[in-house]
Amino acid sequence: MNASTTASSMPATWSRRAVLATAALAASMAVTGPVLAQAQLDQPAPAFSAATADGKTVTLDSYKGKTVVLEWTNHECPYVKKHYGSGNIPALQKEATAQGVVWLQVISSAPGQQGNVDGPTAIKLNKDRGAAPTQVLLDPSGQIGKSYGAQTSPHLFIVNPQGVLVYKGGIDSIATAKVDDIAKADPYVKTALSELAAGKKVTHASTKPYGCSIKYGS
Amino acid sequence: MPRFDPSRLRSIAAIACLGLSIGVALPAAASPSDRASTGEVEVRLISASSQVSPGQTVLVALEQRISPHWHTYWKNPGDSGQPTSIDWQLPKNITASDIHWPAPKRFDVGPITNYGYEAQVLLLTEIHLPDSLTPGTSVALTAEANWLVCREECIPQQATLALSLPVAASATPSPDAATLSTALSSLPAKASFDASARVDGKELVVSWPVAATAQARQALFIPNDWGRIQHAAKPRLDRDGDAWRLRMPVGEQPAPAGQVLEGLLLVDGQAWEVRMPVLNGNAPSPAPGPAMASASALGLWTAMGLALIGGLILNLMPCVFPVLAIKALGFLQGSASEHRRQGVAYTAGVLIAFAALGAVLLALRSAGGSIGWGFQFHSPVFVLLLAWLMFVLGLSLAGHLQIGGGFAGIGQSLASRPGLAGSFFTGVLATVVATPCTAPFMGAAMAFALAQPGPQLMAVFLSLGFGLALPYLALACWPALQRRMPRPGPWMEVLKQALAFPMFAAAIWLVWVLAQQAGPLGVLIVLSGMVLIALAAWVRMVSRHASAQWRWTGAGAALAAVIGAVALVPSLPAMNGGETSSSKDSAIAAAAEGHEPYSPERLSELRAQGKPVFVNLTASWCITCLVNERVALSTQEVREAFTREGVTYLKGDWTRQDPRITALLKQHDRSGVPLYLFYPAGAGSSAQVLPQVLTPGIVTSALRAGEAAVR
Repeated sequence: MNASTTASSMPATWSRRAVLATAALAASMAVTGPVLAQAQLDQPAPAFSAATADGKTVTLDSYKGKTVVLEWTNHECPYVKKHYGSGNIPALQKEATAQGVVWLQVISSAPGQQGNVDGPTAIKLNKDRGAAPTQVLLDPSGQIGKSYGAQTSPHLFIVNPQGVLVYKGGIDSIATAKVDDIAKADPYVKTALSELAAGKKVTHASTKPYGCSIKYGS
Repeated sequence: MPRFDPSRLRSIAAIACLGLSIGVALPAAASPSDRASTGEVEVRLISASSQVSPGQTVLVALEQRISPHWHTYWKNPGDSGQPTSIDWQLPKNITASDIHWPAPKRFDVGPITNYGYEAQVLLLTEIHLPDSLTPGTSVALTAEANWLVCREECIPQQATLALSLPVAASATPSPDAATLSTALSSLPAKASFDASARVDGKELVVSWPVAATAQARQALFIPNDWGRIQHAAKPRLDRDGDAWRLRMPVGEQPAPAGQVLEGLLLVDGQAWEVRMPVLNGNAPSPAPGPAMASASALGLWTAMGLALIGGLILNLMPCVFPVLAIKALGFLQGSASEHRRQGVAYTAGVLIAFAALGAVLLALRSAGGSIGWGFQFHSPVFVLLLAWLMFVLGLSLAGHLQIGGGFAGIGQSLASRPGLAGSFFTGVLATVVATPCTAPFMGAAMAFALAQPGPQLMAVFLSLGFGLALPYLALACWPALQRRMPRPGPWMEVLKQALAFPMFAAAIWLVWVLAQQAGPLGVLIVLSGMVLIALAAWVRMVSRHASAQWRWTGAGAALAAVIGAVALVPSLPAMNGGETSSSKDSAIAAAAEGHEPYSPERLSELRAQGKPVFVNLTASWCITCLVNERVALSTQEVREAFTREGVTYLKGDWTRQDPRITALLKQHDRSGVPLYLFYPAGAGSSAQVLPQVLTPGIVTSALRAGEAAVR
């Protein structure tokens, strides 16, 4: 049977593969292309120190002991408008902060790019939209965004009180810009927050983020 | 080149705020037209037929003409974005296919990667019209298209477009027909080669044969689903012997082993649709834990359930049934506790045989061999030995052979109770003779098992074995059932002798299989072996009641005859011996029977022409296949249906190992034959998989369902 010939050549193939695998591993250290770092689930969330819209500086460390939500946003993106215009995200912000959760909006649009705003504008936008995050982080260099691997607006991350990343992904399950779909969608972030509040593990910890791409400077 | 144009953004924002849910709505005219424009995108609904006929499949397209610097998205948009969608509002009985997506372009914007289209794209859809349309009327096709168009900023847009097509007795091509058929023929083709994928640590490795793309300067794999790879990383291409390998870092949701990974493979500007099994990580890295496999499509419990049912049905297969019938007659005597022990020994025999089969499959798989249910029949030696075994069983049942101790206990007179070893080996024998058969429900379970890590594969195999053992075990443990059996008597001896005939028939069938694998010399060897075995049996019989000296001489002569038979085995011609002549013969024979031999080239040629194709993957050693051919595929009714519908019938013979057939099986998540595929007319149509047990009705109704062709 021909399978036996395959079997006899097996050790040779393996050793060659092993050599190639090692070479490939070495090559991957020097991989080219602007690949985003991926914040890993169940690992300590990437630390940061950021300027806030009201002129302060905050660090992730300073929120130890509290659940932290990071929400990447861009007020001109239609997908962000879907969730702000409908009041979906503002309501979730209010509900979460009322329970002691820290909600941080992050704006990683580079200067001159869509969604890039100064502190006073960011605060005014939130007032106009009825939004109530704990703080707005200004990240025009994109450093925080890239360290988390934030790709879309909105893109959400949840850090537990121990500083460990427990959720990354979309605000909900239906990737459209239609307000009507909010009611039909599985509200991933809302569910994750209530699971965390109940001391449970997050069921859908990694979901597909959707929206506009984040307008990083090149 | 960030250009900030505040006036433009403000107006977009204003419109978006006004009608958030409908995006940039078009001025709603009284009746929608076939075209619309949003400033960034001009859309048009076009049809390949200006006049349609009842029963026709009409090719239509949503054309997007996109302004410079803007793009729309493919079905997997990449890191952000949203695919275009078309929501059809169609009259009753008219249905639309999914979008056939042209190969997309990759867009890298900083660390974000997207897949989509710029300048112009045709999103093709097939509209199936019913036979019941009346010429002289017209059909109204209305499409609500939703898309996202992005430059730096993104705008969700929507348009409702409509076409009204007059119905006539015969279809008329429109001025756009040529454009649409060019678009159709440049869609990514289904790969005619065998690609595979595996997750190696943090990398997804996609491999395909060098023979498929001799050159590969640039390659890209784009999965259909989110999370399989990190899109922004540049994939690395290298060559490993006969295979190209493309490595890319895994994304948020790596493909689980055992599942099928689908996507597009783009090599030097050419695109193929690939569907490939995800194999376990390679040997040096530890196999992924069972947790990964549990995410698989079918699910372990379902597969085990299907395997159990399949195993039960195997009992009714022509080789297995006589063995069990004889064995069951043993329950007419003896005590209940003895019966239970027999039942347990038999079950153990079946389970151990299945475990051994599973172990061999695992070993072959880790050696990289392509495997499938019934794989052992690819070996002429196995077929030869099984033919002799059937012959010996037949002799034994007919009373011409008395095997001391009884290999399976069936050589002895029914009055004596066979030992537990006999029951055990009956179990082993039942397994061996069951393997040429594929019962309903088994195909899916086996395919699942063969793509799983060791423990899951074993679990499914043991479920199948348990299913096979169950009827006998139930009979053994349940005296009430035994009491329903007829009373013992001389009829038992008659039945036993009668059951010799199915065994001889099985031996003849195996000789026929061997003839195709090993040619005339193979037939000579198998039949000579049978004569030697019969001689051994006869010598032993005539000498067993003679004096001690003659008894020993007889035993020695019998042994010599058996050794002579075994000595013939190595001279069996190699598997590929005489292949060219026999395959030519079979092509001639095939043409006479109205089918052509299967080849991936022929299939893709026919598919490109949009012709309907029926593919039958079969093997001479596959009883289920032969039965299906006899009762369904070779019937007058089905042949006429093939001719009427202009269906080309391709037959792939897997009697001998054939990697091209193995590849097609794998594409459809199968590990063994039979597999019946029907590709309806229309170049973009996907294969419909028919059940493993066919009737003429099943075949003809499948043909009818896909009857209408794109003209």
